[in-house]
Amino acid sequence: MIKSNDTDIQIAICGSAGDGTIASGDIMKRAAAAMGFNVIAFDVYPPEIRGFGKCISRIRISSKQTYSLKQESDVLVSLNDSHAIPHAAEVRDFGVVIYDDNLVARVAEGGHISAHIDAAQIPYGFSIRQISEQATNSSRSRNVVILGCLAGLFDLSAENFHDIIAKKFATKAQSVIDDNTKAFDAGLKAGRTVFRLDDIKVRAGKIKSNGAEAVMMTGNGAVVRGFLESEIESYFGYPITPATSIMERLAVEMPPRGGKFLQTEDEISAIAATIGAAYTGSRAATATSGPGLALMAEMIGLGVMAEVPSVVVVSQRGGPSTGLPTKTEQSDLNLAVFGGSGDAQRIVLAPTNVEGCYRCAGMAFDIAEIYQTPVILLIDLYLSNRYETVVPADAGTYTPKPRPQINLEGGENYKRFEMTKNHISPRALPGQPGLMYTATGLEHNEQGRPNDDAHMDMSIKRHEKLKGAVHYPGLNVSKRFGDKGKVDVGILGWGSTFGEILETMYQAQAEGISCSAMKVVMLSPLPLQSIEDFFDDCREVLIPELNYEGQFAGLVCGALGRPVTRLSRATGSPMVVREILDEVRRLSGREPAPVQAVGAMGARS
Amino acid sequence: MTTTPHYVIIGSGSAGFGAAKTLRTGDADCRITMVTMDSLPFYNRYNLPQVFHGRHDWRDLMDVPPAQYAELGIELRRRSRVVDVDGAQRFVSLAHQEHVAYDRLLVCAGGRGYLPENLTEYFGLMHGFGSFEAAMRLHKDLPKGGTAIMIGGDMTGIDLAMTLLETGYNVTLITTSQTFWPHRVTTQERDRLLAALEAAGMKVLKDTRAVGVSRENSGKPAACVTLEDGTEVRGDVVMPFCGLASSVEFMLRADVDIERGLLVTPELHTSNETIWAAGDVCQIWHDQEKAYKFFHGWKNVRVMGELAARNMLGANEIFDVNIEDRIDVDADGKISSTFWIH
Repeated sequence: MIKSNDTDIQIAICGSAGDGTIASGDIMKRAAAAMGFNVIAFDVYPPEIRGFGKCISRIRISSKQTYSLKQESDVLVSLNDSHAIPHAAEVRDFGVVIYDDNLVARVAEGGHISAHIDAAQIPYGFSIRQISEQATNSSRSRNVVILGCLAGLFDLSAENFHDIIAKKFATKAQSVIDDNTKAFDAGLKAGRTVFRLDDIKVRAGKIKSNGAEAVMMTGNGAVVRGFLESEIESYFGYPITPATSIMERLAVEMPPRGGKFLQTEDEISAIAATIGAAYTGSRAATATSGPGLALMAEMIGLGVMAEVPSVVVVSQRGGPSTGLPTKTEQSDLNLAVFGGSGDAQRIVLAPTNVEGCYRCAGMAFDIAEIYQTPVILLIDLYLSNRYETVVPADAGTYTPKPRPQINLEGGENYKRFEMTKNHISPRALPGQPGLMYTATGLEHNEQGRPNDDAHMDMSIKRHEKLKGAVHYPGLNVSKRFGDKGKVDVGILGWGSTFGEILETMYQAQAEGISCSAMKVVMLSPLPLQSIEDFFDDCREVLIPELNYEGQFAGLVCGALGRPVTRLSRATGSPMVVREILDEVRRLSGREPAPVQAVGAMGARS
Repeated sequence: MTTTPHYVIIGSGSAGFGAAKTLRTGDADCRITMVTMDSLPFYNRYNLPQVFHGRHDWRDLMDVPPAQYAELGIELRRRSRVVDVDGAQRFVSLAHQEHVAYDRLLVCAGGRGYLPENLTEYFGLMHGFGSFEAAMRLHKDLPKGGTAIMIGGDMTGIDLAMTLLETGYNVTLITTSQTFWPHRVTTQERDRLLAALEAAGMKVLKDTRAVGVSRENSGKPAACVTLEDGTEVRGDVVMPFCGLASSVEFMLRADVDIERGLLVTPELHTSNETIWAAGDVCQIWHDQEKAYKFFHGWKNVRVMGELAARNMLGANEIFDVNIEDRIDVDADGKISSTFWIH
């Protein structure tokens, strides 16, 4: 819980594409992390590459562990009033709105953000453009001036900002670093002269005291780190938002390590190459989003049928089709779990935070190789692009396991798909003497030869072998938080939404509501026993998720036949804590939540 | 096309806020916009000395909660400086390059601290007391038990001085012709009042004139006043309290009559059909004296705001210029003033 003497502020910087909004947020979050704060940050930007679309960088800075962005920001900085005006209402009472009060061009009546600042909010006007021009002879540094203003207002360490600015522009000319530093210092001076009227408190940052240096990481960055530490050998990919940054980073990191990296002509080629490389024993992966996964479905089926271990990262965005390329959603669950022809069960992992991305990516190859099947790592844009401070020592719970030894005796009796007690067969690699076999998408017998009659037995084998995965050590395929034993309300969640769920649970507990939360990291196969135990302990179970159909709720209901209350939202934005909390209150009988038009998706089923 | 009138009020003090509430009472549908330089919603400036009694949160000084603006449907524009009013085209120009059109305009911009001509160049060195920020800056810069040097000593300054004396500070007063402003006092009354201040612990310097203000270190507030005989008076802060000068610069193109303030009829109507004025910014026609007069003080200002608003809605009320204007000292030496009634 956040106490009154803790630091817990959220800054939202809003501008137009080209204003440097995201860069500004990037410097802010890195400086805050360097000061020792826990940071969660998430950027929202338009689908257009260039133009005048809206960009928002939200950064939550806290001296305590936090799990999601806050619904209300403490500070809104406007670099573009027309974009920022709709967000003025997001600022809490006695929070701050910072804006340029010395514009050059006339704005229409009501076009200045000062017209939209509530009486309970605190306006701080700065001559942002003018300060930038005076400091650097250019208005392009407005995004850095506002960082100085923030640092001046809230007495943040200028040294950390200077350091981050120098690092961020290290590859550019020294004059770029100098100008940005000047712009920051000019903003700092302006910020320090303002008399503060807000009630925002920033105390010295103090991150976990294990001595390790905290690093900022996105979910995609954590996936890359997990892949690299688990010794990925081959990557084949085709760019698609929001997964592209995985490919971009691996393109830089893999070749020097001897890895093979290839950008293919499309997603079908990418998954085909991945399965092919994995067939040869290479640790191979690809990454895509929902539309790409749809194209990959057939080849993933081949991986299931031929029992080829591979890893497919899927970062979800709003769908169907091209959908909302730069907005988040959790609507590819059904495709990830069930997509493709036939009974093609695979392992689907859904980490809930950045550290979880690292952990799951690090374990994914091991799991794929042990269970000889494709593993889908299902994340979403909110997690892919979200920055969190991660202390490596905390994240380092994953230690790469020794690769399974493929040291088999060859001969006529070798059966690649042998029926074993645990349904996992001895896997040989192509080229191993005496261990030749046919890998095929056709149903086959134990030797791998096409055989229709083996279909029932092989179907059993392919499903049964995965059951052990729910006990995979160190993965925490499910985990319960909050009150132990019987509770009034249990919140069951998956993926990026779980941060909001945890925040909700702690707030509900603070209100005296008996409440627990459980995250489910393995969506296929489901850890049914622990979920059922959770249901047994909860008078009511609520499942919030970011899709219209309530796909996870449907999955759980289908598996357990137990009633749940769904809170399904398809807004393109992260789940809202207040909405979940309202539902928890209603379910606990504490306070009825107002009826909202959510149709059947808001109903108990 | 809408027929809902848009009322714009320049200023958010007691006149402005009182006017806004009156407008809303009289017209539930009209649009009301209040434009102010201030950072805060409406608060009682007469309570500012309370910061020396430990009230350091501006929210404690508020007479109404911020939510009331939304409840009343008042669009509040803070930190917005009016640079021009076009009385013909009926719009207000704001410094941040926005025009706000109005149907009827009420000017309640008040005034800024007046400074004698010979001291204007020292303005930046001295402390003000016209806003919460200024009050808090003074509180920060004046060390406990320190000395505030006041030049002038209008009734706002005297009020603060009494609080400072009560709370363990020292006050040195350099009198001017504005001492006890806005009251007009006879020489005899003035001596009696000054004696009361001295009895209360104030050091009073009469029959002299401040000619310079200085500070010892850059970055620190002014702490020294030079008198006309070359004597230096030292303290910790220097504050001018010489009455108010109306804020009317932005009205020069508004097609209204201006003298020291905006000239208005007893109905508080300016010479422009769509512009009214209230509070410290306006001089009201006094028919008996055949002159335009200021009527300062919280009570007068509030009454003016409400009256102007009613007249903007169509009434035809007259401001009663026969108001009580009294300053006195009781048997215990305590000063009372109609200016302080709020």
